Formats: sequence, C-alpha cells, structure tokens
Amino acid sequence: MGISRRKFVVRTLLGGTGVMLGAAYLGRNSIRRSIYDMMENPDMLSYMGDTSNPLMWFEITNDNKVVLHSPKVEMGQGSFTSMVQMAAEELEMDISQISIVHAETATGNIDGMSTGGSTTTAGFWQPLRELAATMREMLKVEGAKKLGAEASSVVASKGTISAGGKTLTYGEIVDGVTDWEIPETPALKDPKDFKFIGQPVARVDLIDKVVGTPMFGMDATMPDMLYGAVVRPDRIGAKYKSSDISKAQGMPGVIKIVQEPDFVGVVATSIVEAENAKKAIIVDWQIDRSWQTKDIEDAIQVGKGDKMIIQKVGDADGKLEDGGEGIITAEYRSPIGAHAQLEPNGALAHVESDKATIIMSTQVIQLTRSEVAKRLGLDEEKVNLVPTYLGGGFGRRLHTPNAVQAAVLSKAVGKPVKCFFNRKEEFQKDTFRPPTHHQLKAKLDANGNIEALEHSFASGDVMFNAAMVPAIAGTILGADIGATRGARIQYGNIPHHRAVSWHSELPFATSWWRSLGLLANTFAIESFMDELAVSAGKDPIQFRLDHIQDDEAGRRLKAVIESARDKAGYQDTANGKSAMGFACSTDAGTPCAHVAEVTVSGKEIKVNKVTCTIDPGYAVNPDQVKAQSEGCIIMGLSASMYERMYVEDGQLRPTIYGPYKMALMRDAPKEIDVEIINGTGKPGAVGEPPLGPIGAAIANAVFRITGQRLREMPLTLA
Amino acid sequence: MISFTINGKAQMVDVEGDTPLLWVIRDMLNMKGTKFGCGKAACGACTIHVDGEAVRSCSYAVKYAEGKEITTIEGLGTADNPHPVQQAWIDEVVPQCGYCQPGFMMATAALLNKNPNPTDEDIDKNIINVCRCGTYYRMRKAIKKAAALNANSITNS
Amino acid sequence: MKKSLFPLVAAGIMLTSISLVTARYGPDEDLPAEVTAESSEVANIEEESEIAFNKMMDVLTHQRCINCHPNDDIPKQGEDQHPHRFGITRVNSMTATNCNTCHQSTNNDYSGVPGAPEWALAPDKMRWEGLSRIEIAQSMMKPENNGGRSAEDVMHHLTEHELVLWAWEPGVDAEGNPREKPPVPVDEYVSAVKKWIELGAVIPEQ
Repeated sequence: MGISRRKFVVRTLLGGTGVMLGAAYLGRNSIRRSIYDMMENPDMLSYMGDTSNPLMWFEITNDNKVVLHSPKVEMGQGSFTSMVQMAAEELEMDISQISIVHAETATGNIDGMSTGGSTTTAGFWQPLRELAATMREMLKVEGAKKLGAEASSVVASKGTISAGGKTLTYGEIVDGVTDWEIPETPALKDPKDFKFIGQPVARVDLIDKVVGTPMFGMDATMPDMLYGAVVRPDRIGAKYKSSDISKAQGMPGVIKIVQEPDFVGVVATSIVEAENAKKAIIVDWQIDRSWQTKDIEDAIQVGKGDKMIIQKVGDADGKLEDGGEGIITAEYRSPIGAHAQLEPNGALAHVESDKATIIMSTQVIQLTRSEVAKRLGLDEEKVNLVPTYLGGGFGRRLHTPNAVQAAVLSKAVGKPVKCFFNRKEEFQKDTFRPPTHHQLKAKLDANGNIEALEHSFASGDVMFNAAMVPAIAGTILGADIGATRGARIQYGNIPHHRAVSWHSELPFATSWWRSLGLLANTFAIESFMDELAVSAGKDPIQFRLDHIQDDEAGRRLKAVIESARDKAGYQDTANGKSAMGFACSTDAGTPCAHVAEVTVSGKEIKVNKVTCTIDPGYAVNPDQVKAQSEGCIIMGLSASMYERMYVEDGQLRPTIYGPYKMALMRDAPKEIDVEIINGTGKPGAVGEPPLGPIGAAIANAVFRITGQRLREMPLTLA
Repeated sequence: MISFTINGKAQMVDVEGDTPLLWVIRDMLNMKGTKFGCGKAACGACTIHVDGEAVRSCSYAVKYAEGKEITTIEGLGTADNPHPVQQAWIDEVVPQCGYCQPGFMMATAALLNKNPNPTDEDIDKNIINVCRCGTYYRMRKAIKKAAALNANSITNS
Repeated sequence: MKKSLFPLVAAGIMLTSISLVTARYGPDEDLPAEVTAESSEVANIEEESEIAFNKMMDVLTHQRCINCHPNDDIPKQGEDQHPHRFGITRVNSMTATNCNTCHQSTNNDYSGVPGAPEWALAPDKMRWEGLSRIEIAQSMMKPENNGGRSAEDVMHHLTEHELVLWAWEPGVDAEGNPREKPPVPVDEYVSAVKKWIELGAVIPEQ
C-alpha cells in the first residue's frame, strides 16, 4: 500500500518560515477489523488516522530543522525515538536535525483511536518511512530546480541537497516554494543501508527528562491561570445529587464554586486553596449499596456471567468431562490492580467564547476533544487539544473525561483553569485492572504429553464499556478481547484444547491496564503448564517445546524459549533456598520467555535475576526494546508479588503508595539480561508482551524452593 | 514574607507559612522539575535538598525554609553542565516516562553527598522513591556510575 | 503483693507521699481493723503508686508511644502498628533518607505526616514493643538504658519532652482522619507520672 499522490497537502506556514507536509494515509477499517486487528493481529498493527482531514506531519523550518508532529503520544515507551529514527533514515537527516512534538489537534493530524496496545512503532513502520521518503523526493525536485540541476542527479545527505559542487539546505529549499510536485511513493531504503534504524539511539527526550524540563500535562501553564478542584466520591457507585457550598464560599483564594448537574468544583488562586475549599463542600451522594471484596470475588467466578468459547481445537470439552479419569485441575486468581502512574490525571483548559484549548496528558486525543466539544456545545474543530508527554500511561489515560470538568470550570470563570486529581482520587477513581478467576483442566496421555487442556477464566470488563470503543463492539465481538489477551492456549500440538471466557460487570470501572488480560492469563496458564510438567515428570522447558506446533509462530516461540533457557543456564532443581522458574507467552504476535532466579528467606520471596528473550519481529531501537522489557519485568513483578486493591464498606482501598505496596528499588532484580531476536524483519509489539510470563516464572521458581504452589496474586507464602 | 535561597538565588515569597514548599516552588516560582506525585511524602517525586539534606517538599511547610538553602533539579545541573548524577542517568539512558526521575536524582545526589560509594544495601535503604515504569534496574547502574563519576571529578579537581 | 523500691528513692519523698495518702483518706475513714495504722499507710501508698503507675502505663503502652519504641529496629505506623512503609529501619536515622526527609518539627496537615521536634526512634536500648508494663518500667528506669537519667530526669522527660507530648496532638493521617490519642488525658498522665516518681517509682511485681 502506497500513499496516493492526491492525498498530499502542503501548507505554507504563517509568515513563510517553513512548510508543513501532510498526507492522508490508510483508509479507516471497519470497527471490527480495526479493533480486533489492533488487539490481536500482529500483521495489522495499524495507524488509524482520520482520513477526512489532511494530516500534517513534517514542518521544515528555515534554519534547516524538521519538526515531526506526532499523532501518537510519548508515555515512556520510547516511540518518539523510533519515529525520529525512521524519519531521519528516509529524510537523509541526522537524528539531531529532527525534533518531535505532539501534534495539536489543530494541525489536523489526529489519531482516531489511541496510543496503546504496543502498536505505535509497528503501526508507523511503513507509513512514516513512506511519508519521509516522499518528502525527501519533493525536496530533491525543488532543490534541483534551485541548483539548476536534473532531479535525478542531486544527492540528499544530512539535510542538504547537492549537485555539481553546490549545496542547499532543506531549509533553504523550502523558502519561497508554494507549489510542490508530489512524486509517487519512492522505494524504501534497503535494511542493509540503515544508519539509524536498528541502532541503540539514545532517547530523544533523554536530556529534557534528566534536567527537569517542563513537559508533562501537570507542568502546563497559561497567563492568568487559576486552579480547580472537583469533589469526587470515595464510595463505589456514588452519584452526585446536590451540594452545600456555604462553608466553602468565601474561603481564602476561592474565586468561584461551580455547581453543575453532575458535579461540584472549586476555582481558586492556588492548588492548596482549591483543595482546602473542596474539603469544606458537603455533597449529598446517592449510594445504593455498600460493596465489599467478597461481593466482587463472588461476581468474578468461572461459571457466572456471559460465557463465550474463544478457542476450540478438538474435543477438549469431551475429554475433560467432570468425573473423568486422571483429570488434573487447578484454580488461579488475580486481584484488582491499580495503574498508580505517578502523574495524576488532569488538564489545563482555557475556554473562550467560541473556542477552547486543552493541554493535557492523554492516550485518547480524539475522544477527549470530542467529549469536551460536546459538553461545551462547540464544534470539535473549535477545540484544540494540545497533548503533552505523559507521566505514565499504562492504559490509565485511555479515557480522560476529567478534561471536561476542567473545561467547565474554565468556562465558569472565563480564565484558564488547571484541575488535577489528588492521589486518593487517583487510587479510588482509577479504571482498574479487573480481578480474574481461572480454572485449568488437563489430561496427560500415557507418554506424559498433554492430551487435552482447557483454560476457563472470568474477568470484569477490560474493553467492554470503555469509552474509546464503540458500544457496538461487544455485540460484534462477543468476548471482551481485552480480557482475552493471553487467554488462548499457545501450544498448538495439544490435540484437544480450548479457552472459555466468562464475563461479568463490576460496580466500578475496570479497563485497560498495561497488557490487559495477559498478566493474569499467563500467570494461570504458565503456572499450570509447570504443574503438568511436574506431574508428567518432565523438564518444564522441554515439556513446553514438545507441545509447540511447527509453524512460524511456533518456531519463533521455540526460539525465544531456547534462547532464554540457554542464556540463563536453566537448572530445574533448587539450590538450597534458590531456584529458577520458567514461563513464556505470545502477545500481539511477540513471543517472550523469562527465566526468573529466586531466593526465599522465611516468607520473603526475592527475585535476583531475570533472563528474558523477546522476538519483537524487528527492533527499531534495541536499547529501548531492552528498556521496555526491563520495565515490563519490574512492573509485572510488582503486580504479581505485591499489589492488591480491595473493597471495604463501599470504598476501594488503599488510597496511597505504601499501603498499595509496589516494587521499590530493593525489590527489583539486580540483574536483568534481555536478548532480542529479530524474527521477522518487521517491528511488532514491545511495550506489553514481556509483562506476560513474569508472575508464573517467579511462582514456578518458588515451587521448586518450597514445594508450595502459589496460585493467587499477589504471591504470598503460607 | 519568607526568605530563602533557591538554586543559589535569594528569594522572598509572600505566602501562608503552612503552604507545602512544593507548591511554592512549582506554582509561585514556576520551576516545574519538582513533581507532585502523591502529596503524602510517599512517592518521593517531590524530593529536593534543604541545606543539602533530601526533603520531600510536599510535606515541608514553606515556613521551615526560612534562611535555608534549597536546591531543586533545576539547580542540580543543566543540559550543558549536568551534575554527575544527571550524567550517569544520561549515560545509562534511565528515564522512560520520566516523571519520577527528578525526585530519584535528587535523592541519589543526597545519598552520594553522605556516602560517596554506596553499596547495594545502602542504595536499597536510601532510594525508596516510587517509579511505575520500572527503571530501578537502570537506576541502580546509574547510581553506581554516578559514584564513579563523582570520584573521578574529585580526583581530577 | 511484694514491692521493689527504686534505689534512688529518698526518705523525704516517702514522707511527703505518706502525708498525701493521709490527706486523701482522711483521719476518720475506716481502715480494715486487722491492719495497723503504719501498714495501712504503706498499703495506701502502694495502691496510690500502682494507680499512678497503671495510668502512666496506659499511655506508654499506647501505639502513639510504642510505634517509635520498636523491638526490631523497624518503626511502626498507624493504629494497627504495621511496620513503617517503604522499608524504613533504624539504619535510616543516620543515612541520606532519614526521619527528617519526611517528618518535620510539627505535624503536616496536608500530607498527614506527623512531626515533632527531634522526631526519631527511641534509642536502641529503649525497645518497648512486646514488653509488659513492668518490663517497660524496668527498662525505662535503668540508668544504663535511659542514658543515665535519674528518676527526676525521667519524670521531666516523660512529662515535658515535646516528642512525648506529641502523643496528645498527633494530627491527622494521610486521609485526614485524626490519629487516636492515648487513653488518658495529658494532664492526668502528667500528674500520674509525677506521683509515681514521687512515691518512689515503685515498679509493681507480679
């Protein structure tokens, strides 16, 4: 698929200081294809830009810099760096000549979906390089004209066009050009000629992040800015009825108290004053029920809610009928998980009579702009959403309606208002990782191979009811494809296997949490695979290899397994109080295997080292693939070993770091050894797949040390 | 009026004395490198130095800053002249989302001031901030690297 | 009940105490017939001392005090006396991340971090957590444990030190909820400590 010429648009910048090049790229897929492909199909990781507007991508300034306007956001995953690498490669520029910024929606370059699902680098692999190559060819044509040379004879290098001993910079070439010739999409560079792609280029945001440059949503300012605070309920299901603001009115710094049909908020001259006044507002909440953890656990049970068979090979159902001979079963559970990203949710909004500007950290630019426009009664084009760097995403910012509250407060006072969650609100009004329950059943044949395997699991919503997904998705897809990430059996040689999803709604929001269902599903399946290997008296790694089919996915999975095994020097028996544990998974087309080296002292589990092999298809930036793998391992370790939200008397708790125990420096492995296999030559998912196997790898090691099979996260020794 | 020195410059602020120093730094003095993470002295994103000691500024009333010397990430070093801790962070490519990193670097700088050659255990006991991206593995390498850079700069100067 | 007199008790204090006891009961009050006047006075002093002792100990065994007198080098937090979050230990009191990284000389109502002058763990030798009232008193009064304090020094510490008196102004927790105060009002506690010391700092035996 190439870019159609007619879809290019060139816009001369105001004041004639440069030019922006835009292109409409890719037709919008049907809802089903798009969502499904994004979530599950590695070959279709696609950029889903809006085709109704031209997309402004490159800005070339007269001082010979290219500014790349990214419709995807940078939340730590390193996409900005890989995008610059791809652009620099085809533009024939140095990395330092390209700067990358978040595209304001006013540029028209708006991603219709989101940043998430480990899709950015993979999705841009083809289109971004094609755009850059086209731009380079356009510059060659105009450069040749200015140099009086044939376009075919000019050479592009380091941001210049040369011919016959004369050189012009790109900045000089764009000067004064108003009518561009747009060539057909040129051939892309042969990988053997790559200068930047495939190299461990330092993050483009590295220096800013080390010297404390203001770059996050919460750092945004505007002249005459005021501070807002919105009263949020601490009870599950509480609905706003009315509020008594008499005590809050007239408190120091209070500019206005804003009572809306659905919420009440304060605008004040400082955050402290806004928060102080907020505490003095008495809200009457409608609360129908006081929930407890047990209610939630009862709701999330295999056998309850809506059932859907999401994988079926052979007759697993028949082979594993209740009461049958030699059936091995086990149950696993995972708790409610919080995102706990460090930068709270919030926005800076400036609403004027006929337009609005919103500056914020969000993973859903288009959706948020649309929600703000709707509430304000403005056309979407009148709302300019200015995305910033995210102080952590992890799925928490895949719905950010808090921008609406900031906008309403701004409109009420006629000035810019910055309004953020406090930490308690962040914990209690999170869009949590849903709790899960898993039932595993299997039967071994006479040779100790798996004859039949079934994974039944229950989960709350991940994708269902998520604002960014059309409500119709549930009807089209049947099962919640967020919850099903990692739920299918990846061992194709098992003659009879199936996966069954049970879905129940919970009384609080559950949604996307980095890797979605992968963490819990892999914990259950890969722990159970270990149980089966032990039952069969086999080496757990060979046992897995024996059950993997011989197709491309199978060969790639086998390769990462063997690599991790060999690099770690896997030993299947404990050495005193230490042992190794193994697990693997394939997520969004990326196979990944971990060997965890664990020590147990008393009831304390300590992970000393993790050896990881990942095959992302192709690593555009190997250093950042390693960084994402290290981060996934530590975040997954944290969720598997320490984290748990509970429900007590209608409240989600705890409400602060510490009581919500997470991995700290001392808990992180002192060694993480990541090996990358470029299995396909085309980049795939990286930012989530390495989260999958870590919980099971740790639990499998603990079993070898203690004989205890830990089937519930967070892992706790008896 | 409360007077203190911040990043080497004398500063006076007219503010209620119980106001957390964090908000004075961020919103009155407009230095955004010091981050709000929790407001409860739990995450460490707001770590600064007061008279050379690591302090969590969200839990430090501005009145206590009277007459003191404050250092924030902006005063630790610059892009052109980074502090050894920042240089080590650059060398090891530590940040991911980056939000918690200034707090970690300030805590590390305080640690190295007291303990120029920290062991793994010293690091574990002193660096107790929260990072959600999971950059701890690279941070540990960077802390050791910073200790080495520090030692070199002392030897050379 | 047997009694053990604190070695530093002076005769003068004993006399004062006896007169206090007499004053309280009054000369006309009935005393058990079989008890002589002298032994009844001693019994009253013992009782008085024990009442004061118990009142004092109601405070000293409260979590507001015990949380910073751990027996395992890990400060405790909260009404449930959980280990201090983030792995804080006694080691931290000397290192770059120490008590004063978060705790200042007053409570912080915004963060819920408690504070008082000299916020710190009790000295290594003052490990009270898990001890009985009698054991705490023995530890507290032993000069080799308490930094060579006399009974009067101990009295001043227990009744005047700001860090001790913080227990009655413990502020709010991270969610803004008030911390529980010791079960005895501060003035009653101060009187009880003074009385117990005056009466000889007698530590009851089982």
